[in-house]
Amino acid sequence: MTPPIPAVLAELAALMIRNAAPGVPDGERANALGLTASLLAIAAETWDAAAHNLVVENRGLRALIGDTGQDDNLRLSALQAENNRLREALIALHARAEADVDEPLQARIWAELIAATERRRVTTAPV
Amino acid sequence: MAHSLEPRLAAYIATRMPGASEVVVSSLERISGGASRETYRFLLLWTEGAKPRQRRLILRRDPPASLIDTERRVEFEAYRAFRNTAVPVPEMLWLEEGHDALDHPFFIAEEITGFQAGPAALFAAADVVLRHVAERKWTILGTIARADPAPLAAIVPAPALDQCWHRELDHWAALIDRDADQPLPITQAAIRWLRANPPPPAQRLSIVHGDYRTGNFLYDAAGDIHGILDWEMAHLGDPLEDLGWSLQPVWTFGRQGLAGGLCPPASAIAIWERASGLKADPSALHWWTLFNCIKGQGIWVGSAAAFNSGGNRAPIMIYPAWWLINAQERAMLQVMGRL
Repeated sequence: MTPPIPAVLAELAALMIRNAAPGVPDGERANALGLTASLLAIAAETWDAAAHNLVVENRGLRALIGDTGQDDNLRLSALQAENNRLREALIALHARAEADVDEPLQARIWAELIAATERRRVTTAPV
Repeated sequence: MAHSLEPRLAAYIATRMPGASEVVVSSLERISGGASRETYRFLLLWTEGAKPRQRRLILRRDPPASLIDTERRVEFEAYRAFRNTAVPVPEMLWLEEGHDALDHPFFIAEEITGFQAGPAALFAAADVVLRHVAERKWTILGTIARADPAPLAAIVPAPALDQCWHRELDHWAALIDRDADQPLPITQAAIRWLRANPPPPAQRLSIVHGDYRTGNFLYDAAGDIHGILDWEMAHLGDPLEDLGWSLQPVWTFGRQGLAGGLCPPASAIAIWERASGLKADPSALHWWTLFNCIKGQGIWVGSAAAFNSGGNRAPIMIYPAWWLINAQERAMLQVMGRL
């Protein structure tokens, strides 16, 4: 998830302090609070499963690209960095599978990608 | 407490209204949204010919960093191109491209008052109203498609008809490569497919609004449309580009199967064809709809990049990234028939 949740929460904290001060126009305060509420709701929905989803996704990606590693560091930032490395490798593998007309491999890659978007889905998202 | 911009804005406007005295700006407030420009509404009061006057106006100012980087002159001229035509737009008043007056470039326009833009309130309307909005929405888009592109041709590139797709895809794919801080396998697969399966040449060169969707027009309770807004991505290109953007799945706002959350896609296409006098070849429109998923992704990752770089820490830069990057990949899967 980008921007990272900790950076966003820190920014929202500062925004709420600014909006607690007197003199902020009503419309701007309402706008800031409304957006803050929407972002906090997404963070709340995402937070509990974030590490689990990255571990599951990294496992699936390693199976596809033939990587034997594992996730030893369960900090979200470390899991995300590993996820970035694996997804970069998957993009290269996908392009090779298309060039080689390797349809079984393409089907496995698409299945993994579809499952990943389902795990990452936010309930309020339009698709 | 008066907004700190009010006296500076009044001083600027006074220089543009030599026949006016006692120029005052009041009630200035920022309008929600406005991720690509800071948008404010305000009341201008002045005296002219010994008579007090007032007018509600809009200030659109460049932010420190934006989710899209566009020239405000193009936006200004695009609005002007459609003034007093069947495409309803607000009157443009003054364009300032320097940084001295308000720290960043800006323009000032008429505020069209008394109407709404928000999709949520619109979707609460009766079906008959939504059908009328759809009729107006795609009729106006067809009118834009058939308009003379000459007013913009003096200030933006005019691509060859067979290069419209290439130029747009190159542009947005490059922005994704520059801005995405996490790999996007579905987006990259869609870009490979688009490059391998280009659309036919454009039927004509048109003014492309660039962000023609539900949420970017002003409507009333009866479903009439009174203002087409947010022309900051206007350019010259294939008219199917705008139609594809209006049909791309994230603009259903969750009302699946309804173009723009309003009507079946086939109805929207038929209205557009009737108004534009052009044909929406299904395979070409499919290409442009998938392309517009790439364009959307370019905007969402750009908003995340603007936040992550520290260039713009406003929450409006976070929301599109969190809400839409994954949704946009799911939209690509839908358009490619994989979801």
